Amino acid sequence: MGTLSASLNIALASLTANDGAIATTSNNIANVNTPGYARQIPQLQESAPILANGVAVGTGVTLGRPQTVRDNVLQLRISQEAQQGGQLDAFLSSMSQVQTLFNEASGTGLQQPLSAFFNSLQQLSTDPSNLSLRQGVISAGQNLANAFHQLSGGLSAQQQNLNLRVNQTAGQINELTTQIAQVNEQVGELVAAGQDANSFISQRDVLLGKLSNLIQVNQIDAGNGRVTLTTGEGTPLVVGGQSYDFTTRPDPANGLLQIYSQGTNITSQITAGELGGQLQVRDQQITSVLSKLDDIAFGISSSFNTQSQAGFDLNGAVGGNLFIPPPALVAGSANSFGMAITDPALIAASSDGTAGSNGNLNALVNLSTQGIVNGQTPLSYYSNLIFGIGNAISNATTEQTSVNLVSQQLANQRGALSGVSLDEEAASLVKFQQAYEASARVITIISDLTLAAVNLGKD
Amino acid sequence: MALRVNPDLSTDLLSSIQLSQSQQNAALQQIATGRRVNSLSDDPAASSAVMFNHAESAKADQYLSNINTMQGLFQVTDSTLSSAVNLMARAVQLAVQGANGTLNDSDRQAIAVEVSSLQQQMLSLSNLSYQGSYVFAGTNVHTQPFTLDPNSASGVAYNGNTNVNTVDLLNGQQMTTNVPGSQIFLNPAGSIFDALQNLLTALQTDANIGAASSTLQTAASQLYTQRVFYGNGLQQMESATTFLDQEKVEFSTQENSLVGADLAKVATNLSQAQASSSAVLTATGKILNRNNLFDFLK
Repeated sequence: MGTLSASLNIALASLTANDGAIATTSNNIANVNTPGYARQIPQLQESAPILANGVAVGTGVTLGRPQTVRDNVLQLRISQEAQQGGQLDAFLSSMSQVQTLFNEASGTGLQQPLSAFFNSLQQLSTDPSNLSLRQGVISAGQNLANAFHQLSGGLSAQQQNLNLRVNQTAGQINELTTQIAQVNEQVGELVAAGQDANSFISQRDVLLGKLSNLIQVNQIDAGNGRVTLTTGEGTPLVVGGQSYDFTTRPDPANGLLQIYSQGTNITSQITAGELGGQLQVRDQQITSVLSKLDDIAFGISSSFNTQSQAGFDLNGAVGGNLFIPPPALVAGSANSFGMAITDPALIAASSDGTAGSNGNLNALVNLSTQGIVNGQTPLSYYSNLIFGIGNAISNATTEQTSVNLVSQQLANQRGALSGVSLDEEAASLVKFQQAYEASARVITIISDLTLAAVNLGKD
Repeated sequence: MALRVNPDLSTDLLSSIQLSQSQQNAALQQIATGRRVNSLSDDPAASSAVMFNHAESAKADQYLSNINTMQGLFQVTDSTLSSAVNLMARAVQLAVQGANGTLNDSDRQAIAVEVSSLQQQMLSLSNLSYQGSYVFAGTNVHTQPFTLDPNSASGVAYNGNTNVNTVDLLNGQQMTTNVPGSQIFLNPAGSIFDALQNLLTALQTDANIGAASSTLQTAASQLYTQRVFYGNGLQQMESATTFLDQEKVEFSTQENSLVGADLAKVATNLSQAQASSSAVLTATGKILNRNNLFDFLK
């Protein structure tokens, strides 16, 4: 059998519980636009009943710790997609600048000057002693040299830009890992003390999302709410409250910055995130395009020089080099490509020593359709080069589209689970408000009843 | 309980807006440039193919310009040889005239003077120069090929060589561009200069004029044969020009099918993208402004 004061206690507890539930709802509403926030559900629990004379009597309601609606596995998937998305974004933004150098569809690139050079030789073959046609060959050769310089210069500049960006990205990663380490420690302390760490976990999720965009991150549960973060290859990034900074040092061979962690060069391990994309373009794509350009320059200059030496110039002397001899190791050939002669009379057009012979010229023209660049003609080697660039970008674009779709779906899944719905919160608010009002009404009634009891027997 | 949906629609909506905008941009770019492929990555294989197409087309242009130059040379040479053929015809006439037994010495002398003049003219024709180069010198084009030489049976010395040049007319088709002067004017099968010198001597000495006449006829027909080379060459260039012109048309057709935009299709894409864009914008406007439960609570 209950008493009036027991009922009063129940109503009071109900006021407190519903007040707390309203606070949680209000917090949800306040954070409706906060990135990474996971909604909380107030946990109302029936208080343990007491036995009075063998009858269980309810003792009202208590407010437990609010439940946070979060799926850690989903969060992990989101950060994995972010790594891939970051890598593709960085890859595409720098590769699209590389491809503008080779926009053959609109006539920039190597084909035009290359064809013009071969055609100038073809033209000279109709009148091999004609000085103005000879001058045409020299000019076309110089234009070809300019094209080689422009392409290799543009590629090197792009590589240097990426080098700066690699440095910036490494700096951003360091900032993020430092912040994550701090938040990680706070989470650990709160969880150890048995308190609600939700807001710090949300904050850590946001920071982790940003970090995943920059580099691949492995996440290991370290207990007590803490996580340990490592790179894909296991290099530690954050352990408890400790973060491990990246440092950058230039490679003595080419001046390109290498990423070090605790004294170890980990550059080649970084394949995902923006940093991975930047390194991939800087160290693989551009390096490979540059070396193919060198192959073409080397093939042309060395084979044309050899053939020139087999002929005779306009003065009847044995021919010399047409182009500046390329470096023996091939590397740098595009950059050093240039005409060895400026005097048009020195072009070795003749095969018999007379001014009118075009025999050696025909041999030079024929080189353009022979396998003088690693066994391929200059144009087919070049076509493989541009196909490679276009194909890499086109594949990455397709991949980016699908990664974006997946990311969007995952974000929707996360939103469906953890996002704050104003409709839902409004309904909760009304519900808790009504319960609060009802409990308050109960108190008024009990007060009236108590008064009636106190006044019993009066008058 | 119904499945909970993501209450925040803005990301989905924004990406839909972006998608329809990028579709519009792509269509606009294709319309502006008239090209479906505007960068390597739009179609790597077509970009690569069109690069070869440009190279082959530039080569065809060069072949055509070469043919144009060569045609000038061949026409001048052919008409020079035509003059030489006329000179020989006149020489044959004179030989027949000289062989007439009724002529006296002074008549023959007069004929000999004309033959000598023909010889001079032939020498000048054989030293034809085109754009600073001797045409009948083999490849030794900077040295006058024929000079007077009283010690020689032909009366001239040949200073050229017997080399020939070839020039590409088309991919894989070469044409020889000259006949050495010695083959035209001093051919062992009928030498022009020998025959003229022979006739002159015969007229001056009144001996073997008939034989000289027949040698002259052999030489004249030999010259005619040599001239055919240039006529053939002109024809060959004519047909190469026709081929190259056709090839250029094919190149541009190919280029169009490789990278050209199908404008009707692109225009349709554009209007579809515009329609979907305005639909998405309208929807977004409505959804972002929609009411929630709070609007109905008092």
